[in-house]
Amino acid sequence: MTPVMTEFLQIRQISKLYQPDKEVEVPALDNINLSIEKGEFVVISGPSGSGKTTLLNIIGGLDLPTEGQIILDGKLLTGLAERELAGIRRDHIGFVFQAYNLLPVLTARENIEYVMKLQGRSREKCRARSLMVAEKLGIASLLDKLPHQLSGGQQQRVAVARAVAPTPKLVLADEPTANLDSKSAAALIDMMEKLNREEGVTIIFSSHDPLVIAKARRSVVLKDGKLVTDICE
Amino acid sequence: MLFQFALRNVLAHGKRSVVTILLGTISTALLVFSSAWMDGSHQQMIKNAVEIYPGYIQITGAEFRQSPSFEHLLFDVDKIQAEVIDIAGVALFTPRFEAFVLFSVGDKTVGGMLTGINPEKERRVSRLCAALKDGEYLENNDNNQLYIGNELARRLQVKVGDELVFIGTGADYSFAADRLIVKGIFQTGLFEFDAGSAFLAKSYFDRIMASKNLATHGIVLPENLNRSAQLAGVIGRRIGPKYQVADWQQTMAGLVKSMQLDSCFGYITLAIIFIVIFFVVMIYTLLAVFARLKEIGIMRAIGTTPRQVFAILLWESSILGFISVWVGGLIGAAFAWYFCIHPLVFSGMEEQFKQYGLAASAIPSAFEPLTIGRDMAVMFLLLLLSTLYPIIKVNRYQPIEALHHV
Repeated sequence: MTPVMTEFLQIRQISKLYQPDKEVEVPALDNINLSIEKGEFVVISGPSGSGKTTLLNIIGGLDLPTEGQIILDGKLLTGLAERELAGIRRDHIGFVFQAYNLLPVLTARENIEYVMKLQGRSREKCRARSLMVAEKLGIASLLDKLPHQLSGGQQQRVAVARAVAPTPKLVLADEPTANLDSKSAAALIDMMEKLNREEGVTIIFSSHDPLVIAKARRSVVLKDGKLVTDICE
Repeated sequence: MLFQFALRNVLAHGKRSVVTILLGTISTALLVFSSAWMDGSHQQMIKNAVEIYPGYIQITGAEFRQSPSFEHLLFDVDKIQAEVIDIAGVALFTPRFEAFVLFSVGDKTVGGMLTGINPEKERRVSRLCAALKDGEYLENNDNNQLYIGNELARRLQVKVGDELVFIGTGADYSFAADRLIVKGIFQTGLFEFDAGSAFLAKSYFDRIMASKNLATHGIVLPENLNRSAQLAGVIGRRIGPKYQVADWQQTMAGLVKSMQLDSCFGYITLAIIFIVIFFVVMIYTLLAVFARLKEIGIMRAIGTTPRQVFAILLWESSILGFISVWVGGLIGAAFAWYFCIHPLVFSGMEEQFKQYGLAASAIPSAFEPLTIGRDMAVMFLLLLLSTLYPIIKVNRYQPIEALHHV
C-alpha cells in the first residue's frame, strides 16, 4: 500500500509588510505558498533581504504575517494567542539561531534540557535524552561547560541539540552556519541531516552558502520576498 | 525548575544582584530602625506620662472628673480596695488624696498641690521614689515630712531639713494647716509637675486633712500593662456605676492625641521613604530586566510562556527581596536592640523634649520582634510590588522584538 503523503506544514498566501512609519511600507514577503511534508530537509536560500528570516519567524510563530495562514500538522497557527503559540513552540518546534542564542547562565547540558523540563519531563529522562543527542552531535564532553567557554561551532551544536532534544515535529534553523568556518558549517549541516534521517524530524533551514545549500534535499529560493524556485532532489 | 533557573540567574548576575540586595537591605534596615525609634519615643512618652505619676488605671467618684470637688470623692476606700485587689490581673491598688493648698516660707507663698500617698505602694505605681534628687523618700509612718518638687522648692527657696507651712481646706471643709519639714526633693523632669507638687504620707495627711478612708482617686497597677483598657472595663463592671474607671488613654487623651499626630507625621515620613524606595528599586529593576531582554526573548522563542517568564522574574525578585529583608531586618534589629539597651542621649535638648512629654534627653528605641517582623514583611511586599511593573512591561514584548533588542 502506498503511504498517504500529508501536508505537514502549509504556508498559504503569506505576506508581510513592515511599516517603519505611516507613509512607508516595506514588503518583506509577498504571497508565499509552500507545502512541506513530514521528514523533509529543506533549505530556504536567497540573497540578504530576500525574506528568509522573516519567513522562518512567521512559520515558528515568532512573528505575525500581514496576510495568510500557517497550518502546522493540521493546526492553524495564525491568530493564536502568545500563550498558545509558546506552547506550540515548546512542544512542536525547535529553533536554531544564527547567533546561537544559548542561555548564558546555563551549562550546555542545562541549555539542552531546558525545553524538555518546560515540557514537564522527569530529570532522569532529560538526562538520558540530552546525553544521547549530545553524543550524536559530538558534544558529550562539553555538557558541563557554560556557553562562553565554548567555541562558535560548539555553541551551535549545543543549540542544535537544544532544538532537537525535546523531539519536536519541526526544527527551524535561521542561517545556522553563518558564523562558522566552512569546515564547521559543513559538519553541522551533516549532523542536522543525520538527525533528520535518524530522528525523522522535519528540518527547514536558511542559508546563502552554496556548499550548505547543496546538502539539502529540497531547495526553496526567495528573492525580494517572492518564492522564485522550489526544487526537490 | 523555574525557581532553580531564577536562582541561577541571581547568582550569575552577581553585580546586579548585589546592588539590588544592597538597596533592599539599606531600605529595610532604615525602616526597621526608624519604626523602632518612633515606637521607642512613643513608649518613652507613655512611660513618662503614665509612670511618673498618673498611673495606668484611675478610679474616681462617678462625677469627679466633670466636677472635681470633695462631694465626689471615693468615700469608702477600704471597701473599694478589697473589691479591686480581688480582681484577676490587678497587681496593686493605692489611694491618693489631692488638695490644693498654699505653701509659705517667710514672705514667699506659692500655690500647689499637696497629696497624701502611701509611700511604699507608690514605689511600684509611680516613679516618685526614683525621682529623688536630694534628701530621702517618704515612709508610711512619716509624720510632717514633706517630699517636694525641685522647682517648687526653688521657688520657696527651701532645701532638705527646712521648714515651711501650708494652709488649705480639709475633706470636711475645715481649715487645715500645719508646719512641715522638707525630707526629700524630687525631680521628674516634667516641669509643671515639679513646680507644683508635694507629698505627705497619707496616714499623717488623713489626720490633718480629715480624709481617713477617703481619696480623690485610686491608682490600679495592672499585671499586664498592655491590657490596661480591658482591665479598666472589668474593674468598672465590678465596682459599679458609683465610680468611674479610666485607663491612661482616657485620662491622658491629650497625650494620646499628640502621639497619634506624631505617628501621623512619622507615617507620612515613612510613606515618603517608601515611595522613594519603590521608585528607586523599580527603575533599577527596569534597567536590569531590559539589559536581559534578549535573554528573555530567547526563553520566549524556545517555548517559555509569558506566565513562566513572569514566574522566573518574580522568583528572582523574591530571592533578592528575601535576602534583603533578612539582612536589612537583622541590621535594623541589631541597631534597635543596641539603642534599646543604650538609649541615644541628646545632650542639651531637655527643654525641647519637655514639650513632647519626654522627661529625659535619653530616648531608647523599641525592640519588638513582632513589629520588626511586620516591617520586614511590608518591605518584602514593597520590593516585590516595585518589580511588578518592569516584569509586566518586559513580558509585553513579542519574542521577536525581545530577541532583536540590543
